[in-house]
Amino acid sequence: MPKLTIDGKAVEAAKGATLLEAAQQLGVYIPRYCYHPKLSVSGNCRMCLVEVEKTSKLVTACSTEAAEGMSVRTDSEKVKAARRDVLEFLLINHPLDCPICDQAGECGLQDYYMEYSLKKSRFPQGDKVTRQKRRALGPHLVLDNERCVLCTRCVRFCSEVTKTSELEVMERADHSFIDLKEGKSLDNDYSLNIADLCPVGAWTSRDFRFKSRVWFLKKTPTVCLGCATGCLIEAHHNENTVYRLVPRPNAETNTWLCDRGRMTYKAVQAGDRLAKGVIKNGLIDLEPALREAATRIDEQHAAAAVLGSPWLSIEDNAALARLAAEALKTENFCFDFSAEQGIKDGILVNKDPAPNTAGAGLVKAACGGLSLEEFSRRIADKRIKVVITEARAAAFIKDALKASGARLIVFAVNRAEIPPEAYATLPYASYFETPGTFVNYQGLKRRAEPAVEAKEGVKPLWAVVNKLAVYSGTSLRLDSAEDALKGINFR
Amino acid sequence: MPFKLTEEFKAKAAHICARYPRKDAALIPLLQELQGQAGFVAEEAMDALAQYLELPYARVKGVVTFYTMFNRAPLGKYHLQVCRNISCHMAGAPALLGRLKEKLGIAEGETTKDGLFTLSTVECLGACGTAPVLQANEDYFENLTPEKLDALIDDLKHGKHPLKR
Repeated sequence: MPKLTIDGKAVEAAKGATLLEAAQQLGVYIPRYCYHPKLSVSGNCRMCLVEVEKTSKLVTACSTEAAEGMSVRTDSEKVKAARRDVLEFLLINHPLDCPICDQAGECGLQDYYMEYSLKKSRFPQGDKVTRQKRRALGPHLVLDNERCVLCTRCVRFCSEVTKTSELEVMERADHSFIDLKEGKSLDNDYSLNIADLCPVGAWTSRDFRFKSRVWFLKKTPTVCLGCATGCLIEAHHNENTVYRLVPRPNAETNTWLCDRGRMTYKAVQAGDRLAKGVIKNGLIDLEPALREAATRIDEQHAAAAVLGSPWLSIEDNAALARLAAEALKTENFCFDFSAEQGIKDGILVNKDPAPNTAGAGLVKAACGGLSLEEFSRRIADKRIKVVITEARAAAFIKDALKASGARLIVFAVNRAEIPPEAYATLPYASYFETPGTFVNYQGLKRRAEPAVEAKEGVKPLWAVVNKLAVYSGTSLRLDSAEDALKGINFR
Repeated sequence: MPFKLTEEFKAKAAHICARYPRKDAALIPLLQELQGQAGFVAEEAMDALAQYLELPYARVKGVVTFYTMFNRAPLGKYHLQVCRNISCHMAGAPALLGRLKEKLGIAEGETTKDGLFTLSTVECLGACGTAPVLQANEDYFENLTPEKLDALIDDLKHGKHPLKR
């Protein structure tokens, strides 16, 4: 555990820690482009130069190990001059693209120029070396080589994280650039992380490009519901529209976010988003849809059943449990889902595509209910004649439904989710619009927080359940998601 | 036509790889070997070599493009390389280069139609004391003057000058 001083402040660094990491411990920020905590050290950008006493030259903080008795300065005139000079080098051939560059506002070059340089360029624009401008490389990314500072974060990401090694620096000196095999596309499942990693505007997301200036975006911390991994994410949104999802790096689960997870926000604003109920194939207002659903349930009072869903939050599953117990007064309910848990691809994607299998398990542990097998058997035996569930969960009982022809009433966010067997569909607010608790494959409770507001008339699932209960003559008295948890004894 | 590494090459490659603790360390010597056989390293050859060394293709391509002495296209019989760095520049290299361009009717990086000459400019050849310098294949021609240059081109055209390669 070497003890050293940085800018006069003493710090005890971990063994093997670099100067940059030791400085971070003290809250001293050292500028960097090529350094990334989760990638190997490259030391090529030279932005992190610091002065170490009794060393003749400045050293790169990202690649110099902290040693006993070192005296480091990050604020001396020499260091400041070095930062200005490095920026001048990096900017020699950088195009004057800022007004039309989508990175503006979150660009490392802009930020550091304002912070450390503010120097006028000594190189006329006409002398700049030009490189290839924007070109789509793969389904998610656009590469503008002229803006690149050759930090090689993207190259290292592809070789160290996805292990696909598509990218490399080609050529040399001022005409070098990032490229991959001709005719190949950058199509690994994590490619959008490169747009986040890139400190400048070289890599941008095809999805996000020119949709919004970043300084208008508001940030809501939430959780990705793309699979059971439950990565922590941040939803970036403005004026009730979600624009992108980015990872919130954390030690427990994720540094990155997969491309599919990043696109999950699309469903919220998709054209097939349900704002009304659906009976068979026809759209109908929510109230008559609820009345129709309630009538069908009441017809079969003793033979009505509720199936929870691993795609719903704990609160919404609890609301369904209370619908079964208090309104329908039936034993025909089931929260029994089992799916193999674990990382499928060695990075983030889980074997279990549903986000809350473990959370539904908690509801099962508290409320009991039938096993999925028994539930299916009762449908097939026609002891259950109406099933209320969430659209994707209906797949678990598909065969039994087909065999018996029981009526299916589902809750859905998008029209594409509705299974063909559904008799009635009730819309509910997605978890970008309403809060919910999920339990990921590691057993960690994760909160989905609303980033935007649901369309008028679209209610959270617990509220739709509450109304459905009222239509069949019982009040569950649900005024919030938390109300659903009342009277359920979680162990 | 798909490119395949010859058995002869593979035997040699195994020998070269054995010199290094890691197989991928043999990348540059093997590229030199490929260039020695064909005079250049073709795109397909890079692919085949990447597979042989179990390296990503991009890595091989990155190395080939980094080193200017790896040729990516066939060259003429004589590769004329004019130094463009400061000593040669001050001693008249630009004029010599202009003369060559005019005489051969090609620009830098091009090959004459008869396949005899390829003209390129290179960085310092390490012979500043005898500037201006031109390297033809692997031979140096130093203290060049327009007359000497004309004579050299004529000799090469008529096959008179015995170059090493």
